[in-house]
Amino acid sequence: MRPSDAHEVSQLNELKINVGALAMDAHYRLAGCQIMVEQMPIFGGYAGGLEATTIVDVATTLNTFVMMQGTWHLDGPVHVRWGITTAREALAIAGHAARAIEENTHLMLGNQYYTIAGPCTVMCLLETAAQAITDTMSGREILSGVAAAKGTRTNMFTPMEARMMGEAAHAVAGMDLHEANVLLDKLVGMYEKNYKTAPEGKPFEECYDVQRLVPIDEYVKVYDEAIEILTGLGLDYWSK
Amino acid sequence: MKAIGKPLSVYDVYDRAKTGPKMDESDWDRKVIPQTAQKYKDKYGIKMDKKTIIPEDKELCDKLFNAGLDMLVDAGVYCIDTGRVIKYTRDEVLQAIENAPDHFQFGEGKEAHNVTPRSYKDSTAPIIQGGPTGSPCSEELFLPIHQAYAQEPIVDTIVDGVFQTIQGGDPQPNTPYELLAVRTEALQVREAQCRAGRSGMGL
Repeated sequence: MRPSDAHEVSQLNELKINVGALAMDAHYRLAGCQIMVEQMPIFGGYAGGLEATTIVDVATTLNTFVMMQGTWHLDGPVHVRWGITTAREALAIAGHAARAIEENTHLMLGNQYYTIAGPCTVMCLLETAAQAITDTMSGREILSGVAAAKGTRTNMFTPMEARMMGEAAHAVAGMDLHEANVLLDKLVGMYEKNYKTAPEGKPFEECYDVQRLVPIDEYVKVYDEAIEILTGLGLDYWSK
Repeated sequence: MKAIGKPLSVYDVYDRAKTGPKMDESDWDRKVIPQTAQKYKDKYGIKMDKKTIIPEDKELCDKLFNAGLDMLVDAGVYCIDTGRVIKYTRDEVLQAIENAPDHFQFGEGKEAHNVTPRSYKDSTAPIIQGGPTGSPCSEELFLPIHQAYAQEPIVDTIVDGVFQTIQGGDPQPNTPYELLAVRTEALQVREAQCRAGRSGMGL
């Protein structure tokens, strides 16, 4: 690791810490490293509903800079029922917390990505795009992902999801906020009824030629299908 | 904001974790967190509409910011090892925000990115940190997986996955295998970035 890398230390849910994290933070500071403090507030957890979890998210984010003197904060509001960051409620918490902090401070914020659908599925790419649009249009500085299929299964992720995260962010940067909200409402509406039947997708080794490190044709076609949907919603990034 | 003696450090925080008010963890989780959040939701009259995922109303943004700030000062932070609450003054929190970095360099050389605060109106896209984000990776594919991420032109830095096993062992926390896994993780991501021709890339 170099000092210019992000050195991670985590807070605990909600507004809790352990002494080991403080010791780790002291080590990073003494070594002159950049410190990224991570925490994922839980919607439907100890805090409760939408507003209360957003208030806790703001408090937790501020604590990164008070307790740890962090360089940047990595967020990740997660839905208690689905274990994902792309559910409407999780996106709303992330969008509101980031805008609240962006309006009132110069603090630098990231967000992390956990989808319910797995790689090589349109649903996974649409979930990713929705969060990238939320994060970009709420003033976040860093997008970090994607842990597909909830990030719990071995090799269930590929660079194609990261490509979508990046392209969707570039597609909307500078867009009118109200237009982005209208688009997001439609986009989230396309997948939020399908959590119980979300496609599990395929692991990296079935999505990529592991010698040449390129995606298989099937995934390129799935990606194109997702682009077609996003273009139909009004994003012209891929048709310019 | 009033002047304070010195900015808070992690050592001050640790001292407070040893001397702050005692509390049961379950009281913290089940009473302090929900009740304090509700108190400031009510105080500021905060109401969110989940169809509007990003707030368009500055007043709502300000209310949420002040509610979060009040909550941090009022409740503090609970230390699970000492069973005590770490408290801050409002001025300490405001001073820490004021002192926080307003830029940093992520990565080195031609792969370096100068990260600065963005506005929601900004036409410059955020930094794209691509990778498995802590998901489990098999040992044999760890390096090629991360090389494939580094080869994506739109990816600016890497957020890596973790080893499912390391030399066949289970990298459980607080074991020798954990350290072997973490060190190997960093070495292999660096190697993956080099193989992609992006040796300065941040991690």
